[in-house]
Amino acid sequence: MSFDIATIRSGIASNLATIPGLRNESYLPDNPNPPVAIVGLESIEYNTAMQQGLTTLNFVVTVVVGRAAEREQQRKLDGYLQPFGAQSVKLAIESNRSLDGAIQDLRVERSGGMGSITINDQTYLAADFTVTVYA
Amino acid sequence: MSKYVVTGNNVSINGDDVSGSVARAELVINAAEVETTDFGSNGFTEVIGGLKSGQVSIDFHHDFGAGGVSTLFQDLVGTQATVVLIPGNGTAASETTPAYTATCLVTSFTPVSGAVGDLSTFSVTFPTSGEITYATA
Repeated sequence: MSFDIATIRSGIASNLATIPGLRNESYLPDNPNPPVAIVGLESIEYNTAMQQGLTTLNFVVTVVVGRAAEREQQRKLDGYLQPFGAQSVKLAIESNRSLDGAIQDLRVERSGGMGSITINDQTYLAADFTVTVYA
Repeated sequence: MSKYVVTGNNVSINGDDVSGSVARAELVINAAEVETTDFGSNGFTEVIGGLKSGQVSIDFHHDFGAGGVSTLFQDLVGTQATVVLIPGNGTAASETTPAYTATCLVTSFTPVSGAVGDLSTFSVTFPTSGEITYATA
């Protein structure tokens, strides 16, 4: 199956747009404006089937919520980490599993939990979500 | 031709190219051992080739879409199907990508398989019926 990585990125971002109040970015922005979900491509496993019939892409969606020390940001991240509910990142990404036919299937496999990341010398609270895409 | 890494061997069933749903394909051609050991064998066994047989073994990714491989198999169990395998990452028969054609008895199909979180797959192993032909053009 042929596919387009940029389309997959934007498709995942569109799915994330169903979460109220959460911004989304298909690519790493210069200056993130939290709360924001950033779609990153971690690895690609080629030739999962004969004749390029299946390729497995591993995306990482990083949800950045704000300054690491703030308790309110930690509570907000709890909601994004839930496997259900209006704030669930997993549920939002899997709301359209074919990305309108751009891929064969996807699944949010796991989250690495909460942690701090530094972007442009600013430390933010964030969580990574591993998304496996079959295209 | 040189050694090669498998990335795109071709598999078709009853004329439908299903390669894009195949993760592994194997064709084995056997000859039975017929023993001819006698008093003149000097303590060793002697054998000659007997009847030949074959076996096709394929791992598929499930796909129930229109024209998908799982849909294709729905009505094939218990029937004979023509399977063409082209090694060498080829798509057509040639000197370096010969096409092996076998009539197989479809003895099983596993429409439901897989644990939670797994890519849904199924494997088949079919005995061949009749001659396995080999073409280079």
